[in-house]
Formats: sequence, C-alpha cells, structure tokens
Amino acid sequence: MFQNLRLTMAWLHTWFGLVLGFVLMVVFFFGALSVFDREIDRWAIPETRFEPQPMPSFDKVLRPVFESMQPDPGQIELARSRVDGPMATHFPVAKTWGAYTTHRDPVLGVFAGFELPNAKDPDDIIWGTRTIDPRTGKTLPDDQLKIGSQFFYPLHYSLNINWRDLGTWIVGFAALVMLVALVSGVIVHRKLFRELFTFRPGKNTQRSVLDLHNLTGVVALPFHFVFAFSGLLIFGGTYFPIGHTQLKPLHDLHEVLESQETGLPHERAGVPGRLASVDAMMAEAQRRWQARGMAGEVGFLTVRHVGDANAYVSIYRAGTDRIALTGEGIHFNAATGEVIREDPPPTVAQHINTFLTGLHLQHFRHWTLRWLYLMGGLLGCVCIATGFLFFVEKRKRQHAAQGLRGARWVDGFAVSAVTGMLVAALAMLVANRLLPADLPGRGDWEQYAFWAAWALALAHGLWRTAPVAQARIAPAWAEQCLAVAVLAVAAVLLNWVTTGDHLGRTLAAGYWPVAGVDLFLLGAAAMAFLAARALRRRSGVPSASAAANAPSRSEAARA
Amino acid sequence: MRDALMLLAAQAANVAGLAWLALAMPVHWEQVCGRSACHPRAARLLRAAGAGALAVSLLLCMAVDHPSMASLVWVMSLAAAALAVAFTLAWRPHWLRVLVPAR
Repeated sequence: MFQNLRLTMAWLHTWFGLVLGFVLMVVFFFGALSVFDREIDRWAIPETRFEPQPMPSFDKVLRPVFESMQPDPGQIELARSRVDGPMATHFPVAKTWGAYTTHRDPVLGVFAGFELPNAKDPDDIIWGTRTIDPRTGKTLPDDQLKIGSQFFYPLHYSLNINWRDLGTWIVGFAALVMLVALVSGVIVHRKLFRELFTFRPGKNTQRSVLDLHNLTGVVALPFHFVFAFSGLLIFGGTYFPIGHTQLKPLHDLHEVLESQETGLPHERAGVPGRLASVDAMMAEAQRRWQARGMAGEVGFLTVRHVGDANAYVSIYRAGTDRIALTGEGIHFNAATGEVIREDPPPTVAQHINTFLTGLHLQHFRHWTLRWLYLMGGLLGCVCIATGFLFFVEKRKRQHAAQGLRGARWVDGFAVSAVTGMLVAALAMLVANRLLPADLPGRGDWEQYAFWAAWALALAHGLWRTAPVAQARIAPAWAEQCLAVAVLAVAAVLLNWVTTGDHLGRTLAAGYWPVAGVDLFLLGAAAMAFLAARALRRRSGVPSASAAANAPSRSEAARA
Repeated sequence: MRDALMLLAAQAANVAGLAWLALAMPVHWEQVCGRSACHPRAARLLRAAGAGALAVSLLLCMAVDHPSMASLVWVMSLAAAALAVAFTLAWRPHWLRVLVPAR
C-alpha cells in the first residue's frame, strides 16, 4: 500500500490521530484538571471551604449516619427494571458500608449498598451515597455537584456517557490509539534526540507548529505513554470482563475459595450480629502499620455483611507517602474486634500493577509532582492541538486551490475541541456562581450550561472557520480565545462577589485550593488574551505570503 | 522548606544538564555563542557535564522522597527542563551563555 514503513506510519499517525484526537483532547484536558479535582470542588461549593479532615470517629459520627441511610431516589428509579414486581419502599438489609477520604478532603463521602428486594439477580446491590461534614456528622445537601470530582474527573475517562459504558470504551480505544500514535509518531519523527530542543517560532506556521507538536510530544513522551497505558490498565476489568462473562463460574468459585483461604466470610450467615467499636479497630490498624514502619492515616474503611454474624470490617491505609496504591488492609471480626487477617505483602505483579495505577490515580501528598502532572497533561493538549493545526496548515492551500472543504471542517472541529472545550468548562464555573443557591437540580443546570456552551462554541467554530477555505486564518480562534479570557476573569470576579473570597483574602489566609483555582483562571485569561491579540495581528495576512517573508525574530518573540 | 529548596535545586540541575547536552549540539552552540561548532573535546566535556548534572538532580530527588516517588518527580522535572531549554533557545538563546565558561 505504501512505499515504506515511514509512510505507512505517517498515514496511521495522521488519520487515527485526527479522528481520536478529539476524544484525546477531552481526556487529557479534563484529566489534567482532575489532578486538582478536590480543589475545584472547594471553589464550586463554598460551604466546603475548610481544612482537610482525617477519618472521623466511626462510633460517634459515622455509625449514626450509616444507620440512617437509604438508597438514593435516582438509584431506585434506575433499579425499577431490575426487580420482579413492585419496587420496595424500604431497604432494611445493608450489604456494605464504606467511607473514603484523602489528605485533600475537608468533606467525607460515604456510601452504603443495600440488598434489592425481589431482584432478578440475587447479588444485585442498590447504592446510597452521602457527603458529610466530618467535624459534626451533618449531611450536606446532595444536589450540589462536585464539579471537579463528579463531573470533570469522570468526563476524562467516560466522557460522562454511561449507557453500557460506551464512553469508557471510546476512551479506551482512544488510549490504545494514543499508544499507537506515540510509537508511529516516533518512527515518523526520526530525529528524536537531534531535534529534542528544536522550536523555531520564526519559521512559517506549518514548520513552527510541527516543531511544537514534536517538542511537546517528545519531552513528555514517558508521561504520555505511561498515562495512556496505566489508564487502560485501571479499566482492564471493563475492557476484559471475562470474570463476569466466559469465566463467570470460575470467578465465582474463586471468590468462595479465596474467602475460605482468607477467613473473610463470603456470604451472610443469616443470624443477626453486633458491631463492636470500630474506633478501637482503627486504632489497632494504625498501631500495626506503625509497627511495620509505615505509620499512616485511615483512608478507606468498609463494613461487609452489616448487622450479620458474619460481618467484618476492613481498614485501609491512606497512601500519602508512596506512589503504589496498596492500602495494607487489615480485616477485623465486626462483633469481637479481633483481627481476622492482614493483607500479605504484594507479589511482583501486584507491585507493578499498584505502582502503575497509583501513579495515575495520585493518592500521594506531593504538590510539586501534582503541578508537574498538570504540566504533563497540558503538554498532551498542546501536542494534540498542534497536531490539528499542522493537519490544517499542511492542506489548506491545496484544498483552497482545488475547492475542497476538508481543511475547513477539520479547523472548525479543532476550534471547538480546543478553545470550545475551554469555553464550556469556564461557562460551567460561571453558571456555578450565577445560579441561585436553592435552585432545584442545580447540578443538572450546571451540566446543561457546560454542554450548551460547548454546542454554541461548535456552531460558532464551524461558522467562523469559513476563511480557511481561502487558505486564511479562521477568525474563530481569536474570537474564542477572547471568550475564554472574558469568562475566566468573570469566574474569578463572580467568586469574589458571591462568596467574598477574593484573592487578597484567600492568599492572606493561605487557603490554596481556592486561591490556586483563581490564580490559574487569571493565568489562563492572560494567555488567552495574548493569543487572541497575536492571532488578530496575523489574520488577514494570507499565510502563503507570511511563509514567503518569515517574520523577524523579535516579531515572533512577541507573538 | 528544606525539601522545597532541594527540589528547586534538582530542577535547576536538570535545566543546566539538558542545556549542556543541547550546547554539545552544533546547531544550538551556534544559537548561543554565535560561532560555528565548538571543539569536539569541548563538546565531549559538555556532554559529560550534562549527564553529571542530571545524575545530581536524580540524587537530590532521592534525598527528598521515597525512591518510587523520586523517580517520577525526576522524569517529570526533566520534561519541564527540556521545555524550558527549548523555549530559551527559541527566544532568548544568549541567556544560556552563562553556562559556557569564558575562555
């Protein structure tokens, strides 16, 4: 089909990169924001702007919360098709309780899984979730959307398309293509080391865009590769669901055998049992971790078979001081508080797995590394965006001459995927500050604002890229950059007006979650404004002549 | 505070190291010093200094964090340093003259 390997790889890189690039843009950008998801949550929910809290007392705070929980109304709606006959109104049997926190969480997320009466699948579980203030046990209103951890974060791995995990599958395919694009990109590039530091902003747009594409791709190559790969690994169970398909009998048998081996009951006994002090178990777990030379806080705790004689409590360590996501779980008999089992040290395969998933999910406490991760994610975005631009630059004059519209359409979608995505994310933050606090379904409205802004940006992008068909720069880029700058500044000002937390106050108090988001927004606004100005200056000049008399070095420096 | 300074030093060592590796290449040497190609022996020296600085940076990272964490910090810091060197070469190449001893 092609004369040599390099041309084959170039074709593969170009076309798969173009099509899946739009998905990867979303994955990389919202993945980068997810590094600071908890901080974005603080910005979006002003009531939760206080210092992170450790796991609270189970006996005093958590137990009354769990005992008062029932499945979420939304979950009950969803479960209607999974039962024979009428839906139960009361769910007396809790199969599991859980609470999870990190060193960045002021509020605590708790969940409870209940037996679903009359369920078609006897193992079916229906979930209830709640967010509490761990200092008091008070429940926070649950229609407040945690924009960082409940919208941006799942957006980066599922596109928030939950129907049959479709979004997760699309992202998985995109991650696979990402790996292919990295390998084929290296083969096409050839001068990986010789041109490692090469960026020539003074050359024609096509050349300097390609330089930037290569630069951002190569300097963060290990990051790009490992993140695409570990992301696939994390969802391995979704992509290879053999445990619940072909090998289901084996999987179920394994569960039973494993529980015999570990001593952790697999089923309820059917006899009521009591729950001893879980606080004492937490103290014992912390004592045992300390004895192993890895003192730490409790990050995650669960109670299984709640209220049954077979109930047991599992306590996991918060992995703030290392990359690997292990937990060093210790399991207790719920009635007696005796230790049933300590998780053994991981095997080599588990070491690799926990290291790779841990480096992706970042439970560690290391702010420098967090910022470097943000940089890595944004470098990925620049790499993808410059890929789009190079595609357009390379073809637009030829397409203009031949009367083809391909380059114009790609540019339209590229505008929507790059600046349009920023417009959508910022519109959501602005909506978050503008919508009345007591609006029913407020979180839903914030999501509508996000998607509506993006749709608007798409329409604008497709409309205002018409000049590309005449081989000129589309005005859409500059206009959307300006929109980004305006929205980002508006978000910061609205945060000030609605909460009183202006930068002077948050910086003086050292409250970095909110100060950091505000500073980041202002930085983004400044860059978007400069980009808009530079684009304005260049537009109107057909790129063909711009290429002929390449701008001088000082001009390029200003651009 | 001590950790932050050590990490800052590690980042600086990475920038210097990669800048020396870049200076060992004729193209970038010319960008910075204006003269074509340095002496081959000087290039070897630059490469050795570059590799050395990167190693020092790794050691500094290791002194601050658990080795698993330190390796990640180092790799990510390398990416940041490479970007800094490339942008400096593109816009302010003469800044890197401080890394070339006057002769």
